Amino acid sequence: MLPAMLIAMLTAITVWWLLIQQLKEKPWTKQGVVPTSQETIWTSAPKVGLWVFLAVVSSLFGLFASAYMMRLHDAHGSLKSWQPLDEPSLLWINTVILVLASGAMQIARTRADRDDFDGLRRYFTGAGVLTVAFLVGQVLAWVQLNAAGAYGPGNPAYAFFILLTATHGLHMVGGLVVLGRTASRVWRGVAKLNVVGRSRIRQSVQLCTLYWHWLLLVWLGLFALLLST
Amino acid sequence: MAYVAIADRDHHLHDPTTFIEKYVWSQDHKVIAIQYGSVAIFVGLIALVLSLMMRLQIGFPGTFTFITPYKYYEFVTMHGMIMVIYLLTALFLGGFGNYLIPLMCGARDMVFPYMNMLSFWVYLVSVIVLLSSFFVPGGPTGAGWTLYPPQTVLEGTPGSQWGIVLMLASLAIFIVAFTMGGLNYVTTVLQARCRGMTLMRMPLSVWGIFVATILGLLAFPALLVAAIMMLLDRLIGTSFFMPALLSLGEQSGHEGGSPILFQHLFWFFGHPEVYIVALPAFGIVSDLLSTHARKNIFGYRMMVWAIIAIGALSFVVWAHHMYVSGMNPYFGFFFATTTLIIAVPTAIKVYNWVLTLWRGDLQMNIPNLFAIGFIFTFVHGGLTGLFLGNVTVDLPLSDTYFVIGHFHMVMGVSPVMVLFGAIYHWFPKLTGKMPNEILGRLHFWMTFLGTYAIYLPMHYLGILGMPRRYYAYGQTDFIPGSAHAVNEAITIAAIVVATAQVVFLINVFYSLWKGKPAGSNPWRATTLEWQTPQTPPVHGNWGPKLPVVYRWAYDYSVPGEKDDFIPQNEPPKGHHSLG
Repeated sequence: MLPAMLIAMLTAITVWWLLIQQLKEKPWTKQGVVPTSQETIWTSAPKVGLWVFLAVVSSLFGLFASAYMMRLHDAHGSLKSWQPLDEPSLLWINTVILVLASGAMQIARTRADRDDFDGLRRYFTGAGVLTVAFLVGQVLAWVQLNAAGAYGPGNPAYAFFILLTATHGLHMVGGLVVLGRTASRVWRGVAKLNVVGRSRIRQSVQLCTLYWHWLLLVWLGLFALLLST
Repeated sequence: MAYVAIADRDHHLHDPTTFIEKYVWSQDHKVIAIQYGSVAIFVGLIALVLSLMMRLQIGFPGTFTFITPYKYYEFVTMHGMIMVIYLLTALFLGGFGNYLIPLMCGARDMVFPYMNMLSFWVYLVSVIVLLSSFFVPGGPTGAGWTLYPPQTVLEGTPGSQWGIVLMLASLAIFIVAFTMGGLNYVTTVLQARCRGMTLMRMPLSVWGIFVATILGLLAFPALLVAAIMMLLDRLIGTSFFMPALLSLGEQSGHEGGSPILFQHLFWFFGHPEVYIVALPAFGIVSDLLSTHARKNIFGYRMMVWAIIAIGALSFVVWAHHMYVSGMNPYFGFFFATTTLIIAVPTAIKVYNWVLTLWRGDLQMNIPNLFAIGFIFTFVHGGLTGLFLGNVTVDLPLSDTYFVIGHFHMVMGVSPVMVLFGAIYHWFPKLTGKMPNEILGRLHFWMTFLGTYAIYLPMHYLGILGMPRRYYAYGQTDFIPGSAHAVNEAITIAAIVVATAQVVFLINVFYSLWKGKPAGSNPWRATTLEWQTPQTPPVHGNWGPKLPVVYRWAYDYSVPGEKDDFIPQNEPPKGHHSLG
């Protein structure tokens, strides 16, 4: 449970740090002060929502990783059914593709910030295509492992491999749905949009970028975990 | 979109017009709260009937022949799971969270109303999937609410064919629903508070719901991980949790999974779950006591810090549920220590509730009766927790009726007392009508005394060594005849308590029909939900202008003031209203 506890602790420290700024107040001594400005708050609500969601996602993967390590620990002890995998080298190529997707997303974001919507279209599409390529690559890795033939569902190393990659892939698919919705708005023509419409697109791209970077980090963590055994 | 939640507006923006938009596919947090609440209470009543079936069997074994051992275990399992997840979690967070957060924070709605609507409908799907297990071959799972492998999946356990699959699927769906709702609750609290509503001016109800939601968002993934892995063990023969073993004389197909791993995952969710239920109850009861004692809550800042501390500590106590599963003795020491430490902030809260009542102008109305009743039941449940938190005392008491008495007092009866107090408290705002006083008092006393009659004797049964989870005890030397008589009495008390809930339902429907008009603020409360221009509040809550908050939520009986309460949105003397 160590990674899960670590994540819980990190979250707690972050929340603590955020709250400590405001929890010193003695509310019964203060009256009439109006410290918040409603005009500035709402624009960041989706961002806060995404951060909270990323905390949930991290908790999920942290717990999967904890389960993996505890099961592995058992494998070294009394439960002998764990047979280490020979991970396909295709996973390295997939990882590079995902890094490129994340990079493309970052460039798309900077283009959106500069109001360069042609550039945004190019890199946004590139990021989407690279992500699909990553997912196809992951499925091919499954096929390769399966073709090797030595692994069945009874081998927890194999079962964990499929489970972790599938869960990560599903999160990427969810991201692609949001990316697709944003891309369709971009393709329909940004020129027709007013200032609010443009700023919303900018925000969607920012949030997609954050999500992609986060899932890249998650994948790097999972990949390291899978390779370490 | 998010901006709808907190924008001033001089016209009705996207207000629903059709019946379907208003009451079915509604994105209004108040309607969603009622939808959540209604479904939760409906399944809760099913769970109540299931518990009666169990009690009939224990009190009068052999009399009700339709309760077979098979069915008995199904009733036990479904009762537990429904009460903990589908009633308490859903009603506190989906019901009260939805209703109170925007109103108490001065927002028009949740920040993501569409997702909020989806949250309810996905919750409903999870309930339907769960209840459908009553109608599949083999019936619902009878593995006990903790669903421990390997017996959960093995032939011979009730519902091992489809019941367990539906249970796990339902839990996974519930977690999706909860996550959608939870994202809303947290983001709304952080982002959509009206002007002047600093974190330290928020009512404790919001604090409790807020921190409980964070716990839920971080802890429910553990249950999701466990559910997915067990589903795979059951459906495609993986061996995450299932060890190699002989089942019914034959080698099972599994190759050596770890049942203990499931227990760790389950309780990493399971213990924070206690506080996911308890923290909203702590928050709500604080507001009830303060309002009806006409006094500010004692130690507001400590109350906030205690909520946060309890939430953080709740993640490092899970293995105290696993003392008998076998663990390194140092782990036992660690978890016993953290368990006892969590009693400190909890005790702070109890002292502060009592000190809030001290020399207050107590209004002994129905919500206050339930709130004070909660202090009693919670102290009893909490104190017995100290016994079970210690490894050496837990070992002999584990799996006895002492445990049942403990956890029902602390996380069954206590939160339910708060739920009832809260329903009576906010019923006037929800409906515009007052609940019937006589029926409400009858409901309280039957429930309060009745639950004591049920659970107090269980502690004695537990100390006698009477094991839990048994279908029938037969003639056993160490269980004296008097214990059987006590069991009969407990069953009769359970029937009385169940009848009291019928009184509650009658009260709800009767008061809806013939209740006295409540007015906008019948309890003379300070918090924002009582200051809405209309009662019940309409879509958008606040009319054209959002409220502005000038003070904390507990200005009761302020010396020198004309009234014994000052609403949060009332400007101090000499200030002009900004609202």
